Amino acid sequence: METLSPRTNRKFKDIGYYAEQQSNYFLLPFRFHRLNDDKEVLVNEVGDHLVVPLGTAGRIIQRQLSIEEDADLYGDLVAGFFIAEQEVPALIDVLATRYRTKKSFLDQFTSLHLFVITLRCEHTCHYCQVSRVTTNKDEFDMRYEHINKGIELMLQSPSDYLTMEFQGGEALLAFDKIVYAIERTKPLAAKLEKQVTYVICTNLAVLDEDILAYCKTNNVLLSTSLDGPGFIHNQNRRRPGNNSYELTIKGIELARKWLGTGNLSALMTTTNLSLDHPTEIVDEYFQQGFRSIFLRPVSPYGFALKNEKKNKYEIERFINFYKKALHHILDYNKRGEFFREEYATIILKKILTPFPVGYVDLNSPAGAITNVILFNYDGAVYASDESRMLAESGDFTFRLGHLDTDTYGDIFYGEKAQALSEVMVNETLPGCSECAFQSYCGADPVHNHATQGSVWGYRPTSTFCQKNMELIRYLIELMDGDPQTRQIFEGWISQRRAS
Amino acid sequence: MPKYSYPIMLLTLRMFLITHTIHVIAKMENQNHIEGNSIFAYADERLFSKEAIFKCLYWYGDHFHTTVNINDGYYQLQLTTAQEISREELKLFLQKLERDLIDFNLRDMVSKETQNVRDLLIAKAFSNGELDEDPPGEISDPVGFSVYENKG
Repeated sequence: METLSPRTNRKFKDIGYYAEQQSNYFLLPFRFHRLNDDKEVLVNEVGDHLVVPLGTAGRIIQRQLSIEEDADLYGDLVAGFFIAEQEVPALIDVLATRYRTKKSFLDQFTSLHLFVITLRCEHTCHYCQVSRVTTNKDEFDMRYEHINKGIELMLQSPSDYLTMEFQGGEALLAFDKIVYAIERTKPLAAKLEKQVTYVICTNLAVLDEDILAYCKTNNVLLSTSLDGPGFIHNQNRRRPGNNSYELTIKGIELARKWLGTGNLSALMTTTNLSLDHPTEIVDEYFQQGFRSIFLRPVSPYGFALKNEKKNKYEIERFINFYKKALHHILDYNKRGEFFREEYATIILKKILTPFPVGYVDLNSPAGAITNVILFNYDGAVYASDESRMLAESGDFTFRLGHLDTDTYGDIFYGEKAQALSEVMVNETLPGCSECAFQSYCGADPVHNHATQGSVWGYRPTSTFCQKNMELIRYLIELMDGDPQTRQIFEGWISQRRAS
Repeated sequence: MPKYSYPIMLLTLRMFLITHTIHVIAKMENQNHIEGNSIFAYADERLFSKEAIFKCLYWYGDHFHTTVNINDGYYQLQLTTAQEISREELKLFLQKLERDLIDFNLRDMVSKETQNVRDLLIAKAFSNGELDEDPPGEISDPVGFSVYENKG
């Protein structure tokens, strides 16, 4: 006999039941931020937002809302978990599930493992923090025993899905070691039933068809750098012959021929020169067949700090550059093209969906260690890519251990990792704890330390804070002011063209 | 009806004027203003929390040296610029400060009022279901499935 599982229904209450409760509402945790002179945005504990007229937060908090006169707003606030009609809302378990979902990027712990396979490079980019122009493989290539130990640690990660990313210098100068690492990992990962994605970061200058044939056979993805049109790219990325741009474009074409368009991505680095050319950079990406662009500011680490004249531009200049470029990208979309900006897409996913985004720089707890780890060419282990860049300038604050001497536990749960975890949660950082954009932003102790000399950071002068606060505010304002822009943004997070 | 003598009336009037003047001066003293390179602002400690005051002033540390005192039931805030700033700019900063003080006080009210719910929410979120409860409400069977009575 089949037993039916009990199905239950709950009675609707009489409308009078709700009317009696007017103005007796309870606040739920939420934060607010002025968008402009007319509006403010409310953001609840799980990142849902509501744009309302200026002064609404004050009215809500001072119990000036009326269920009759402000019926729509009142309904939105109850439905959106900004206020509740009971001290503990009936659906608190739903809210708790939403909260857990937002933090679910922690479930799998570290998935991205960066192997700095060599420091050697044939470029001399003026903002590069780490590379060496040398043929000395013994000194600047990762040793086999370190590759082995790195793989061993990587496979101890609780995550079933791992990314093994090879960086440089120019990683392809040590392609033999990349092949060794991949061939060693494949059977070990299969035995543990872990799925590994392989990525090579390369400037494509030394790419050839043998390398591409191997990448095709082993589903290796390529990530390259394209800073914009030739006059910008070649100025940023110096090499003998001043032909970095030409080699990159040739490499992109060749890589696409072998691997298809989806298996090659490009990143741009913004420099002082780039700041005057937002539209040209966007156009270059579009013309080269990319349908996304990641507008990143130059990192403030290592050698980059020493070259202040070229790299230390005001963050306001970057924000203006970003906004101009974003509008140009939106124009493409308004003409019916799908073309998205990746940083905005990461933030929009956080604003518009209940899911977390595994982007290392915008997570709380911070992505360093919990999401990414770096094995350096010399066997040292760092909390992130930026941490090793600091180390190149003599600052070893974020060195977690060494492949020769330390275990998984020492590195990932050791004293240094525990000390860092105190400053990896923006919910508890001064200035962040009250910020409405807390759930869209993150904690970045490495950036704080590099730019302000304190892992806690000081928000009023933090370029990380200035940039993110303004860009998040701007994205919400754009969506609120123009339904078409909102539709385009929704298309970016769902990978579809706005109709 | 009692009759007051002229000197007593005069004394009463003088007392009133003195009290009123002191009150006016006190009020004037507690008026937000700009003096030289400094902004002076006042916040009634019955209305503003200490947390709100400090969290608000935190954001002014990039442009100003800040000090806080309590006097006569008021927080006395002094913000002094390190660099040359025009009076017009200082006025804008004062406007912003007045707005921010209210905003941070409101934020503090939410924070204090919702502390328990936030703690409960986070505890539930990471309790692996141990703290889950059935939602409240009466269970009914409006369509008549009588699922509990299904005997097959």
